[in-house]
Amino acid sequence: MQIRVKIIQNKETEYIEIGCHRHDDRVDEIIRSVKLHQGSVDAYSGESLYQIPLSDIYYIEAVDDRTYLYLENECYESRRRLYEFEEILPERSFVRISKSIIVNMMKIVAIRPALNGRFLCRLKNDENVIISRKYVPEVREKLRG
Amino acid sequence: MKERIREAAGSYFISVTLINAAMLILGSLLSPQQRFGYEAFLYPLVYGLIGIIPSLIISTDKELSVKQAVIRKVMQMLLIIVLLLAFMFGDDPLNRQTIFMAAAVALSVVIIYILVNVIMWMLDARTAKSMTEDLKRFQQGHEKSI
Repeated sequence: MQIRVKIIQNKETEYIEIGCHRHDDRVDEIIRSVKLHQGSVDAYSGESLYQIPLSDIYYIEAVDDRTYLYLENECYESRRRLYEFEEILPERSFVRISKSIIVNMMKIVAIRPALNGRFLCRLKNDENVIISRKYVPEVREKLRG
Repeated sequence: MKERIREAAGSYFISVTLINAAMLILGSLLSPQQRFGYEAFLYPLVYGLIGIIPSLIISTDKELSVKQAVIRKVMQMLLIIVLLLAFMFGDDPLNRQTIFMAAAVALSVVIIYILVNVIMWMLDARTAKSMTEDLKRFQQGHEKSI
């Protein structure tokens, strides 16, 4: 697949165009990646597909082979794996806090100690998520910028 | 593994300090006439080492719930008591005085174990406070950049 970049004038709206023989899974994957970079992600609730702004996500959790996005009161399922989010989201306010969770730091209200060198993050919706011992240095580094 | 060793090292040095204090108090109460040689300086180091063995054996990389972590801590404490009593009184005849000394040691272990965990928790609380302050700065900086 060739990649062409065309510089356009400032007054024009930026766009991405995909030239393909047919709209298949490969094209969908490219679209999902572009959307993620733009600040939203595809997610499902039942059979319905939604565009979820990244800024609305509280945390992302992998449970068995599934990945769930938790918002203030809703939960959506994503077809992406946690590591895929991890590759793209560090550019933003997200950080991995355990084997199975990536949290949006903008949604954390306070951090408290838990047992065994772990820490508990209280989120704005009063949920708690745990920072594993292993991820504490990474989280501290991210917080300090 | 690195984090586990770091935590074990932290709890070891806190334990050694508290064991010293416990030996001073217990020794003064139970056997004030006893005199020691320089080898006495080694006891807290050895007891501290025995004390961290269970935390290295009974440890897991799994994400434990708070309840599971508490149960694990209690199991560790019981194992420390068994190991220390076996080490200190394993060869002694079972009589009233030995049982009394063993009970005093077991009680000291419980107190020291709780104190070690409280001190570790206080150190973590300080870290958590610093992380929360960093978090507020991060959030303010991030909001300004949007």
